[in-house]
Formats: sequence, C-alpha cells, structure tokens
Amino acid sequence: MSDRLKLRMTIPKACFHSGVIATLVCGFLSTQPSDCSAQAAVEGDFATHKSEAEEYFRKRVTPFIKKYCIDCHQNRRPTEAGLSFTPALKSPGHAAFSQAWKKADARVKAHDMPPEGMEQPTAEERQMFSNWLAKVKFLSPKDPGPFVIRRLTKTEYANTLQDLFGVDPAIADGLPEEVSGEGYLNSLSPLQMEQYLTIADKVLDRILVTEGTPASKMQKRLLGELPTCETEVRPSAKRVAQSLAHKAYRRPASDAELEVLLQVFDLGRHNDLNYLAAIRLMLKGMLVSPQFLFITPADEINTDDRVVPLDDYQLASRLSYLLWATMPDDELMALADCGKLHEPSILKAQVKRMLMDARSRALFDGFGQQWLRLGDLQEKPFDPAKFPQMTSEMRTAMYDEVRLLFENIMRENRNVVELIDSDYTFLNENLATIYGLEKTITGPKMRKVQLSDGNRGGILGMPGILAATSFPNRTSAVKRGVWVLEQVLGDHVPPAPPGVPALEVQDQEIVANLTLRERTVLHQTDPVCANCHKILDPIGFGLENFDAIGRWRDQDDNGEAIDASGELPGGKHFSNPKELKAILAERSDQFSRNLVEKLLAYALCRKLEGYDEIVVDELMQEVALDDFRMQTLISAVVTSYPFTHRRIQE
Amino acid sequence: MSKSVLIDRRTCLKGVGASLALPLLETMGWADTVDGKPYKPPVRLGFMYMPHGVIMDQFWPADAESFLSSPPPALKSLQPVIDQCLLMKGISGVPIAPFNGAPHALELSTWLTATLPDPAKRSEIQISISADQIAANFVGAFTTLPSLELATMPQTWKENQEGLNEAYYSHCSFRSPTQAVPAEINPRNVLNRLFNKQERGGGDSESTRMNSLDRGMLDLVLGGASDLRRSMSLLDQRKLDEYLDSVRSVERRIAAIEYRQKEAALEKSGVRVSKRSSSDSAPIEIKIPEGDKRSEYMQVMCDLNVLAFQTDTTRVSTYIGSTPNGVSYPELGFNNQHHSQTHHNNEEEKVRKTAAITEFNISQFAYMVKKMHSLREGDGTLLDNCIMMWGSGLEDGNTHSRKNLPFILAGKGGGSINTGRFLSDTSGNQGDLLTTLLACAGVPLDRPVGIATKQLKEI
Repeated sequence: MSDRLKLRMTIPKACFHSGVIATLVCGFLSTQPSDCSAQAAVEGDFATHKSEAEEYFRKRVTPFIKKYCIDCHQNRRPTEAGLSFTPALKSPGHAAFSQAWKKADARVKAHDMPPEGMEQPTAEERQMFSNWLAKVKFLSPKDPGPFVIRRLTKTEYANTLQDLFGVDPAIADGLPEEVSGEGYLNSLSPLQMEQYLTIADKVLDRILVTEGTPASKMQKRLLGELPTCETEVRPSAKRVAQSLAHKAYRRPASDAELEVLLQVFDLGRHNDLNYLAAIRLMLKGMLVSPQFLFITPADEINTDDRVVPLDDYQLASRLSYLLWATMPDDELMALADCGKLHEPSILKAQVKRMLMDARSRALFDGFGQQWLRLGDLQEKPFDPAKFPQMTSEMRTAMYDEVRLLFENIMRENRNVVELIDSDYTFLNENLATIYGLEKTITGPKMRKVQLSDGNRGGILGMPGILAATSFPNRTSAVKRGVWVLEQVLGDHVPPAPPGVPALEVQDQEIVANLTLRERTVLHQTDPVCANCHKILDPIGFGLENFDAIGRWRDQDDNGEAIDASGELPGGKHFSNPKELKAILAERSDQFSRNLVEKLLAYALCRKLEGYDEIVVDELMQEVALDDFRMQTLISAVVTSYPFTHRRIQE
Repeated sequence: MSKSVLIDRRTCLKGVGASLALPLLETMGWADTVDGKPYKPPVRLGFMYMPHGVIMDQFWPADAESFLSSPPPALKSLQPVIDQCLLMKGISGVPIAPFNGAPHALELSTWLTATLPDPAKRSEIQISISADQIAANFVGAFTTLPSLELATMPQTWKENQEGLNEAYYSHCSFRSPTQAVPAEINPRNVLNRLFNKQERGGGDSESTRMNSLDRGMLDLVLGGASDLRRSMSLLDQRKLDEYLDSVRSVERRIAAIEYRQKEAALEKSGVRVSKRSSSDSAPIEIKIPEGDKRSEYMQVMCDLNVLAFQTDTTRVSTYIGSTPNGVSYPELGFNNQHHSQTHHNNEEEKVRKTAAITEFNISQFAYMVKKMHSLREGDGTLLDNCIMMWGSGLEDGNTHSRKNLPFILAGKGGGSINTGRFLSDTSGNQGDLLTTLLACAGVPLDRPVGIATKQLKEI
C-alpha cells in the first residue's frame, strides 16, 4: 500500500491527445488521502506474524523434520523422491520450497509419510505440521513478482488489430493457439514472428489502397490528407507516425522510437516507393515492433529500485487486456496521459465502467471458461448415437448459459455465491429441451428464465458444466467430484498414483454387475485411493441425477435408482443436488477465496506463491466486507499490490 | 528438369502458391564438391512423438530374427521397410523426481531435452535446449527454414501438475532453456511457410524487392528494439532478447529466400544452378484433406515433412503426432481418451484399445518412412539420408515406467546408421541416444544432450 500511495513523478505527457475526456476525468476525480496510521498497523501485524512463524518453525517444525523426515530426505545423491529438507531448514520461506511444503503436508496428513515401518508421529504432531502450512507465507519477503514485458496473446493481438484498423480479428488465425492467464507462455518464436509479418501485410492490404485510387474511410481516418507537395511529405509521415504509434504502442512514442519509424519511411522513399507505399512500410515496421507486440513500460527504470509501481500506461494496458482482451480505449489512455489512472478510486471507477461495457465478455471468454473448464466443450467428443443432441448449437447454448450467469452477476454486482446457487438461468429453446422446459421457451435467443426446480440454477446444475465433466458416453462421479473440489472450492486433488492396483481378476465378474456407485466405492476399499476418493466420490454422486449431458434422471443407465446422498468432510449430509448446492453455497469464504486466487493468477499470468498468499488474505477482507460482490472482487484484484507493481530485479 | 510440380488442382484453387513454389523447387539441391565428386546429400533429422507408452509385449520383438521376419503387432505397418529400421531396447528416460506427480507433463518436455525442468523455477520455462533445436542451430543455417515444428493438437492443454508451467505439457522443442517453440497445426500454413507463400500480388522481381525492403525495415526495427532494451530492467531485457533472436531468424530466412530467388533467375536465363541429380524423384504432391479424419490429417503433415526434406527447405523436423491430453481416436471405432485407456490394469478391452492407438500412431510414422523410401535421391533413397525417430516418453502408460523407452529409428543417416537390427540389451539413457543421433547427423556438440554420459556405439 505504501508504495502505491507514493507520490509519483509521472508528468502528463500527452494530455492534449485526449481532449475532452481527459479534461473531464482529470477534473472531477481526485486522489483519496492516504491513511498512514492504518497502514502502519498492518505492517506491525505482519512483523508479529513473521516472528511468530519463525519461532514456530524453529521450536516445533524443525524437531519434527529432524525426527521423522531428514534421515531419508537430506542432501545426498540420489535424493529420496527428489526432496531434501536440508536447505528448507535454513530458509523455510524460500519460494522454491513452497510447493514442497504443500506436498509434504498432504503426504503427512494422508499418513503416506513417514512410510510404514518407520516411527510414526502422533495425531497432534501431524496437526502441528499441518498448521505450519498456514504460517509459511509470513516468511516471504514482500514481492509483487516481476511483470516482465508481456507479449499480447493471440486473442489480444487480434482484437487490438480490430480496434486499430477495423479488420476482422480472424485475420490473426494463422498464429498458434495459446493459453491465456496463468500458464501463459510468454515467449516468442520465429514462427510467430513470421506470422506477425504476414498478418501485418494482410492488414495493410485491407486498409490501404494503391495510390491513385480513392482512399477508404479507414485510410482517411488513419492517414488524414495526403501531402500535396514534396516539402509536406516527411512532416506528414511524422504526423502519421506520432498519432498511430501512440495508439499502437499504447503509450506515447519517444523521439527515438518515432525516428526509427521515420527511418523506415525514408528507406521506402530511397527505394523509390511512393508516399503511400512508404507509409505502408512504416506501418508494417510499427506492427512488428516490440512496442506493439508487447506491453512495454513507458518510463525508464531506476535500476537501484527493487520494486516499482507500473507506470500508468502499463497499468492501462494490463487492465484493459485483463477485462476486455483488447487495447485501452480513449478514456483509459486519457487518464494515463494525465497520470491519474493508478489512483485507487479512479482505478476502481474504471473497473466498474469497463465491466458494464459489452467488451467485458472477454473476462468470461478468457478467464471464466478457463476457471470452469469449459474451454473444450465445443470439441469434446460425445457418443453420437447416445447423445445426438450435442450439436454445435447445443454446445454453444450450454457455454452461453454459464457465461450469461457470470456476466449477469458481474454487471449487476451481485454476490459471487450466486454462481453456485441462483433461482434463475439463461435458456433458449434448444437448451430448454435438456431442462424439459421446451414447451414454454421457444426460439434460438438466450433469455433469463426464472427456475422453480431447486436442483437447477447455479453452475453445478448447468448442462455445460455437467457435460464437460463427463465421459463421452456416461457420467463420471470422480471427474465431477474433482471439478467441485478444484474449480469450486480451490482444493488440490493429487493425480491418481500410477499402477493403481488392479481389482483382482476373480472380482471382474462381480464388478461388472455393480452399479457405477458400487464400483466407484471400490476406490475407497484401497487405502491408497481412499484418502482422496472418500472426499471426492460423494460429491460427484451428489450430481448423479444429472446424466452426461445434464438431463435429470431418477435411474442410471442400468435402470438402477440413483442414490445421490452423501456427506462432505465435516459431516454435512446431503441427499440431492439441491442440498449439495446449499452446503457449498454456505462456504462463501472458501468459494470466493478460490475465485480471488484464480482471478489474481490469471491477471498476473503466473502462479501464486509466497507473498501472494498474504495479498489474497488482504483482498478477502475487502471482498467479505462488501458481501462478496463480484465487482468489488474484481476491483480488489486490479488494485492489488502485485497487479499495480512489479519487481525489476531477480 | 522437365517434370512439373504435382500440386493438385484443388490445392491451387484454394490459393496455395504453386506458381511461387515452382521456381524455388526447381533450384533446390546441393552443389558439386570442388574436386568434382558428386555431392553427398545432407543428413536430415526427424522426430515424431506419441505419448503414454506402448503395450510392451506387442511392441518389443522376441528376438533379432523375428524382428525382421515377423515384427510384433505394433510394428506391422513397418514391415515393408523393416530392414530400414533399428530398434533398441534398454534406453531409459530421465528420472522425474521430484516431479513424481507430473509424469505426463514431463514425458513430452523431457523427450528431446533429456533434462528435467529446474525445480526452483518450475512455474516458468527453465529446462534446456532440445536436441532438434541444437541441430537446427547448426544445420539450419543452410536452409530457408532452420527447423520445422508440427503438431496434431493445439498446444493449449491447461493442467497443473507439481506446480509446473503448463507449457511443459504440450511442448517438446526448446530454442533456449527458457523458450518453448510452438508447433504449427494447420497444414495449409505449413505449406505456405515451406514455400514462403505470401498472399500478395506482384511478380518475382516485385517480391524480391519487397523482401529486401522487409529486411531493411527489420534491421531498423531491430536497431530501435536494441535502444529500447537499454532502458529496460534486466528481466525485461532477457524477454526482449527472444524477440531480437526471432527477428534475426526471420531476417536470415528472408536472405535465404532471396538467395534462392537469385538462383531461380539464373536458371531462367540458362545458367545451370540446380545440382539435383536428374534421376532424383520429383517433389511429392500435397493434398490437403477436407474432412477431419485423423489419419488423413496426420498423413498430410507427414507429407509436408517429406516434402520439406526432399526440397531441402529444412533439415530438422519435429512432429508431435499426439499430445498427452484429452485425445481420442473416433476413427478407430471408440471415443475413449488415450490416457484413460493406458491405465488399463491389464483389462483386456483397454489393452486392446491402447494397442490400437499405438498401432495407429506407428502406422502414420510408417507412412512417412515408406514414402521417403520410395523417393530417389542421389545414389539411393531419401530415407537413406534421413534419421527418423519415432518414440514415446513413457514405456508403459499404466505404471508410468520409463525404463525401456520405446524408440524406433528409421533411415541410414547417410550411412551412419546400420539398420535392420533389433538390439535387445542396449544400455543407455535418452540423452545418450539423442547425443548419438546428433553425432550421426554431423552436428558438432560442445556438450552432451541432457543426462547423456556417452554415445551409443551400437548405432
């Protein structure tokens, strides 16, 4: 916080560009006073937590490791399972060890470790070790993570070309597909570079005409009047470079950057290109420049600093690409031009404005579908004989149902728990057949529908989600259970161990006659499997009344009655999807924390670690205070320390 | 060269540049050596991947004799060229601890690196340069494309195992320890790329001029980027270096194209530049399939690979034939996903389906190898001058074992590989194998690949 409120030296570089909007926005909104005393209290708390964590580690965790773990897991070759506690004893808070703590905790909790035959810790000791996990974060130094110059994703690049030149985003289809957000592969290869050149040519072919033919509207807008005499040529090119670079680079171009563009123009002219052809070459240069392809800082950095706030242009881009998947609009640029965008109140107002804009659909298409694992619903194979309904239109409607609920909660700023439990949904005639509501809902248009069936409403009862978590020909209680635990509650389910012990051969016949539930329960008879399956199977079975494409049923494929009852850890019992939903909806803390974590990781394009956990704790306080409202949650992420700052040293 | 290029009409109608390809193809070839002896065609190196391992008793031959006379079921499709193949049992994979929970993220990413990701930077890309890219760095300078990376599925799988960066799941080529190379999945784009087809008007001379202007423009942009670099933090600089490297690579490519265009112009004016032997087979025909049948799709990717080698457009290729994620094979009559079938616990049906998927993948490789064997080049066939490697990153998908990774080698590597053998007790790891293959391809190495400790003399 203190860094965020630090006085900034950004000089309004180009306020004249922004005209009316800049004047309006800059005029009306002002910085909120900083609350230094509250800040100091937070820092003080943090110091206390840190020393407590250090003491806990020294006095309790260290003896535990020395007694139970270090004999096998120490620095020697080969290291047992690649895990050595030797370095961790020295610096337990090191980011490199954060995964190992989580794994160690899971193993110890599940009684996998220490292995059988070795001395076993008491239940209290195991609990003590488990509690350590919640304290590790206090040992991490305050760190926003690096925000290394980031290449635009394929989608962002395509949308930016559309905003700049009015071309169809499909123009970028030749680029390789990629994952956005957490897990984004921020690198560049010759293959992509070649494509950028090719696509730049295609774009310029569409918007520029050859000299002599009347200019298109877009050309006029971009280039203005063509020079009429030789003396106007270079000044005219410079004007074009300046105005376009500000947009395309999403920040003012420096004099040196403009000079490069003009050199490209001159190169064309020296090679006998006419004005338009030379401009074309210059624009091509602009479109393959790193300033266009990457989000680059506008300000030179002071290399003595370890952490710096993002400059307002970086922030505008980061925000705009997060919520809209495209370049900042004039209003954001105007606020960046006058150096006000980073002010928390202004930033929050911008988030609100942007979420109300139709472009914020991109947040679902980018983040929402990834979070809820709907990305491959369109391509996922379904048994065509069993589920002829799974046409492309149906899949689109299924996807849109989830999207529209997400957008509705976002735009109306409702409690995020409505995602789990709502009494309305969005249907068209096609999708209504899955609900058995086709008599009342007709036509292809998706519309809001009030629901009377408590088993429906919310993502757990949505055909898109239920289909995405099924096999091509039947439901999967395990997949659905994992989905609820991981995507809804944010738990981590470890992958099944390899070489899962085979069910005895003589059992095969018996197995074939079991119901799916009975068969799946076999997981729980094996202690290796039981630890996870006893938690995730019941959840999956709670949704068993929905078939593999989300239709309600009372009997399974073999005609057996469905038993959808079960218990969640902690002893909460349910007997149908409605009750399961209600139990999950009560866990608004856990659900919204998961949403905050997933959104923050998406926004930062990296995994969360170390200090990020403390950030999430802070964000959660803010979100809980305002009834877990969606816009508040998104604003909290956008104004967070790691989103607005970057580390510039290793 | 009187033979014309066989690119079918449908392909032409769809706008693929036969007319542009023609002058290029005609000049492809290699120069006679100074002392007048016929030039030896270069060695080409190709890799093709399938995840999840094999059904072992259907893959490994009982002995050396039966390997040739009646290959195991998985290798049936290779029977016509089995004497061109070399099979080695006993190549172990990189041990994956501490990433024991990420067998599938690592089976692909360690495949050509023989290296584990850096555990301390697991959420980023931090591994090592892969064998194909080592080769591309060396032999790539002689061709318009340093290397060709192909895949069947988009590389967008998002699954977090052991906190590893998601890209490890679907990438096997790494240009540098921090830079994963994306693969092309669209055959039409590959074809355009092979022949530098740009959708722009103008004749050859116009295109030459535009190329040289592009190069000049890129030079200036590079200069600007270097200025920008100076104002950046060290972390940003490193990222920008990938950009600079990619631009330079494109510049080299444009230069190579210009060179080829000059050769073509000479050829037109009657100066003989082409050194391809007149008995060499004409470049193969490419038909882009219209449906979405997996076999047709994979075969056109294989054809493109063959064509790229045949025309010496590149000498290194990597084809990720399938990825370790939700892939199914409806063409084989079932919709089950590959991964779920490989955890078969010896259940008959799953074993059968896993075997069918393996056979299917190997038969695509066989298709490519057979085609190479049918094409004449110099004194022998195209395959004689290639080293084609098919393989998987696991031995047995059921247990994730990596003790005897399945690899099939095909081609004599210009005489460096003695084929028609099954070596049942090779002792080495995948790094040793990759190191040896690079050596066979004539790539000088300053250090072995990944965990390699030696070269496999048996090859």
